[in-house]
Amino acid sequence: MNNEPNEIKPFFPLGELYFYLTGDCNLRCRHCWIKPKYLLAGRSSSYLDKTLFAEIIAQAVGLGLSGVKLTGGEPLLHPQIADLIAIVQKGGLRLTIETNGTLCNREIAEKIASVENVFVSVSIDSPDQDIHEWIRGKKGCFFEAVAGVKNLVQFGVRPQIIMTIMHSNKDQLEPLVRLAESLGAGSVKFNILQPTARGEQMFADGEAVDIAELIKLGKWVDEELSKTTKLPLYYDVPLAFRSLKSMFSPKSGNGCHTCGIFRILGVLADGSYALCGIGETVPDLIFGDAAHDPLKNVWENSAVLNDIRAGLPAKLKGVCSECLLKHVCLGSCIAQNYYSNRDLWAPHWFCQEAYNRGLFPASRLRRPPENQPLQEKEKQLPEAKNSGYP
Amino acid sequence: MDEYINTKMTANPLIVLREEFDDWAILFNPDTGDTYALNPLGVFIWKRLDGTQTVSEITEAIRTSAENVPDEVGKEVEDFLRDIVRLGLASGEKPSS
Ligand code: SF4
Ligand code: SF4
Repeated sequence: MNNEPNEIKPFFPLGELYFYLTGDCNLRCRHCWIKPKYLLAGRSSSYLDKTLFAEIIAQAVGLGLSGVKLTGGEPLLHPQIADLIAIVQKGGLRLTIETNGTLCNREIAEKIASVENVFVSVSIDSPDQDIHEWIRGKKGCFFEAVAGVKNLVQFGVRPQIIMTIMHSNKDQLEPLVRLAESLGAGSVKFNILQPTARGEQMFADGEAVDIAELIKLGKWVDEELSKTTKLPLYYDVPLAFRSLKSMFSPKSGNGCHTCGIFRILGVLADGSYALCGIGETVPDLIFGDAAHDPLKNVWENSAVLNDIRAGLPAKLKGVCSECLLKHVCLGSCIAQNYYSNRDLWAPHWFCQEAYNRGLFPASRLRRPPENQPLQEKEKQLPEAKNSGYP
Repeated sequence: MDEYINTKMTANPLIVLREEFDDWAILFNPDTGDTYALNPLGVFIWKRLDGTQTVSEITEAIRTSAENVPDEVGKEVEDFLRDIVRLGLASGEKPSS
C-alpha cells in the first residue's frame, strides 16, 4: 500500500489566449515590438487558419479560458476577421482587440460591438497628423485611425486610445487626452517605448525619453493631468513607479502593468504556441504547434512554463529580487525581460536602470541603498483638522 | 461588540511601515516578504497600535482629527483591525472583566 500523501499539483487555469493573428501589418511603426512584415495594400496572406483558431479555443475552454485577445501584426488584416469575432462571441468569451484602427470600418465596428464583453484599444501616437504619421510610417493613417475610433463609438464601443511616449510626442499628452475626449474614447493609456524589435532602433537613434523624465511625466499624469478629465488615464510603467493610491483607485484596471504569464498563452499566426508574442522574435520561447500538439499538453507540460511557475517571483534577479511589489508585479513582463537579456529571471530594464541611477523609490525596496535614505515625510498625518477624511 | 471596542491593539513589532509621499504606506514582513498597502486612514490607525489605545479611542481620535468623518467610521476601523489581526500584523488585548 502506498502511504505517501497524494502530491497536489498547483492548478493554473489558462485564462486568456493572445492570438497574434497575422504576420503582417499595414503600418510601419517605428516602435513596434514585433516587427511584422509591411503590407502596402490588401489582406494578409500569412495568417492563422480559421478552423485552427476555433479548434484552439475549443480546447482552451476546458482549461479555464474566459477571454481572447486578438492582436498582431494588425488583427483586422485577417481575411476572416468577422468569422473569428463570431467564434469568440459564440463561445461567450471576453474579447480584447488591439488595433491601429485604420481598417475598422463600419461593418467591422458593428461586428465587434455585437460581442457582449468587449474591450478595444486603438493606437494614436499624437493628436498631430504629421507626427502620428511619421511614427506610424504611412501617409493618411491618422484620419483612418480617427475614423476607426468614431465607427466604434457609433456602435457603442468606447475604445482605449494608446500612445507610446517618445521624444517627438512627449509634449502632447494633454492634447491627446483632449482628442480622446472629443472622439468619445473610454480611456487613455500611455506606453513607454520598449527596447524591443523596432524599438531597439529608436533607442539607438536617441528617440527614447530619459527615464528620469518619464518618471516625472508619470507623476504629472497621475497627480495633475488625471484631474482634468473624466477619462481614466493609465501610465504604463512598472508598479514600483505607480502611487499606491492609483493602484487602488476605482479608475484603475486595464492598464495595470503586471505580468499575466501564469494565465496567458500566445498563439502566433503560423499556429505556434509561444510565450505571449515574443516567439515572433525569440524562437526559443515557442512551445509547440497547434496543428499537432494538444493544447492541454503544451499548457501543463511545457518545461519553460513550468519553470516560470515554479520560479516566479522568487528567482527574479537584480532590482526585482529586492522589490516589495514583486509578488504582484512578477517582473512586469517576462517576455520583455527575456528579450533584453535571454534570461527569464532578468529584472525589467526600466526598474534596473532607475535603480542603478538612484531613481528607484526607496520605500519600495526591501533594503533601501545606504546612499538613498527613505524619504523624510514633510508632514505628519493629520493631527489638526485640516486634511479631511481620506 | 462592546468588548471589542475596549480592546487595546498592538502592532506586530516585526512588521515594517514604509510611508510614502502621498500619506499612503506599505507594510511589509521582512521574514516572509509579504506586503500590504495602507491608505491614509490605515496609516493613522497603524501609528496608534501601541498597546495603550482602545479601538474606541482610536475611532475618537479620527473623529477629532479630520473633517467630514462619516458616521460609519467606527465600523471601518473595526473591520480594518479585524483584518490586520487575521493577517498576523497586530494583536489585541481584551479588557479584564
Ligand atoms: S522592480 Fe521588478 S518587480 Fe518591482 S516593479 Fe519593477 S519590474 Fe516589477
Ligand atoms: S510576458 Fe509580457 S506580454 Fe506576456 S503576460 Fe507577461 S506582461 Fe503580458
